[in-house]
Amino acid sequence: MRLLAFVTATCLLVAAGRWTTAADAPAGEPQAPAGGATLRGRVDIQRVVPAPERRPGVVDLASSTMPLERGVRPAVVYLESTEVPKQSPLRSVPPEPGRARMDQRDETFVPHVLAISVGTSVAFPNSDITFHNVFSLSKTKRFDLGRYGNGKSETVLFDRPGIVRVFCDIHSHMSAFVLVFNHSYFTTTDAEGRYRIDGIPAGSYTVTAWHEGSARDTRTVTFPPGSLDLDLSVR
Amino acid sequence: MTRVVAAAVAWCSIAAAASAQTLPSEPVSFGDGRVVLGGDVAATIAPVDPGFFSYGQYDHSTMRELRIGLSAQVRATRRVSLLAEVRSENLADVTPFALYARVRPIPNRRFDIQVGRIPPTFGRFSRLAYSKQNPLIGYPLAYQYLTSLRPDALPASTDELLQMRARGWRSSFSVGEPTPAPGVPLASSLTWDTGVQVIAGVKAVTLVGSVTNGTLSNPRVGDDNGGKTVAARMVVAAAPGLEIGSSFSRGSFVSRTALNALGTLATRDFPQTAYGLDLEYSRGHWLTRLEAISSDWRVPLLSTGRVEPLRSTAISVEGRYALVPGVYTAIRAEHLGFSRVQAPGGTLPWDAPVMRVEIGAGYYIQRNLIFKGSVQLNERDGGRTTTVRLPAAQLLFWF
Repeated sequence: MRLLAFVTATCLLVAAGRWTTAADAPAGEPQAPAGGATLRGRVDIQRVVPAPERRPGVVDLASSTMPLERGVRPAVVYLESTEVPKQSPLRSVPPEPGRARMDQRDETFVPHVLAISVGTSVAFPNSDITFHNVFSLSKTKRFDLGRYGNGKSETVLFDRPGIVRVFCDIHSHMSAFVLVFNHSYFTTTDAEGRYRIDGIPAGSYTVTAWHEGSARDTRTVTFPPGSLDLDLSVR
Repeated sequence: MTRVVAAAVAWCSIAAAASAQTLPSEPVSFGDGRVVLGGDVAATIAPVDPGFFSYGQYDHSTMRELRIGLSAQVRATRRVSLLAEVRSENLADVTPFALYARVRPIPNRRFDIQVGRIPPTFGRFSRLAYSKQNPLIGYPLAYQYLTSLRPDALPASTDELLQMRARGWRSSFSVGEPTPAPGVPLASSLTWDTGVQVIAGVKAVTLVGSVTNGTLSNPRVGDDNGGKTVAARMVVAAAPGLEIGSSFSRGSFVSRTALNALGTLATRDFPQTAYGLDLEYSRGHWLTRLEAISSDWRVPLLSTGRVEPLRSTAISVEGRYALVPGVYTAIRAEHLGFSRVQAPGGTLPWDAPVMRVEIGAGYYIQRNLIFKGSVQLNERDGGRTTTVRLPAAQLLFWF
């Protein structure tokens, strides 16, 4: 009887733990594998990325009253093994397929950059009063969700690693990136450019800071040590 | 021939640049977004149109042209912007297509006053002609097909009017300007008018009103007859994805050149009056548009002293469906009809009625580079050439 109670309690705790982890993790962010090394630091974004602009609305009968989001666009920091891909220690813990969300709000994709693992389903809800039409012509994932209105959402399963550029067919100033990885060792920088990747298995890696498609800073690191501070810069 | 070769070279250059991913994909901005530049290039090839069905007011086929446009928006202050667009067709003259100031007295309120060479108030397609929102290559008949009417030359009689049936691409009448020249479409989308426009939006309703120098069918920079055109439009977003619009336009059509030749008849006003109804519905991978326009010109006939009411009605139905990501198919079916007039030889429509069906497809080479292909079938109840089938291809790029 005690054994049964112990097993039941253990199962409930495990289930509760899984539930809490899944619910609390930020959308699209990888769940850090237990143990392993930690890589942290700051990405200094020195390049000037033009703020999104609407095309000159010469033919429009009314200019939009909606200001476009001009916030800082984050970088994505990720690891790549220097080993051949099949022997990569990064693959030792397969990524957990999850769910993420890229909102369409004030004629802007929010977040502008989404980093996810292969197998993640991304929802594209429309929070604007106007129609949107999310699509991508990227080789990694080609899709067209069609036009839908406020309160509606469509989902895309990202089943291959790579970079996917996302656009709206109605509003040409709307664009975003989805970066799809076949492991869990990546993260997006916060508002100050800081990043942290935990649970890195021992091995030799290249660390890449990626920003807006064209700018990268790549370094080679080896773990252990158990924790490493590494500042990166994209220009 | 030189221009066709130049167009072909430009066409190939664009495709080559596209494959190398060197084309800009976003508008170019300066001064923290105060100055924004955009552009578009459309290279269209098609065989010679022996029936002149696809000719526009610039004396060439709209299905055989290289069109380059550059647009700019300068935000002078929080309330005032300057907007301009210059265009060149077939590498000929560069013309200022649009040039106006937009004043928004109350920021964050949908109330604008626009002054200068302004966008058309009337109709739906009038503002879509050059954009990627035209899923096909050709334009609707109402906005492109040239009737035989001219503001600067008038027929002396109904008999003379009927002799010009199906000859709108090079029309000639005995009263007024003697040189043959293109007639006018019901509503011009290839030229914009000059004047003042007020736009107000309240919730799902947008109201537009304007006073301009030209007319719906003959937009102008300067006034040529002392009369103004008043136009109004109301658009209601009736449901998600559904917009219903209605338009009205009335203005003096006959120019001073023709009025001077009319003598005592010239004391009256000879207006063009037009009504329009349009609808756009989109959902999922579908987009459908419907537009109907009725235009009425009052034309004086010197031989009888009468004023002849000449009506023309156009109806157009268009559909677009996205087959797979980056590939769509589209179709447009339309009819352009004319009221009948009495002449010694009998009663006939004052110009030859036209039917047109265009079927095509588009392929996105990249987000802002589309290859379109279409076949346009034209049929006319009059003229030397009554049927023309025009296959066409277009490469459209914008940033």
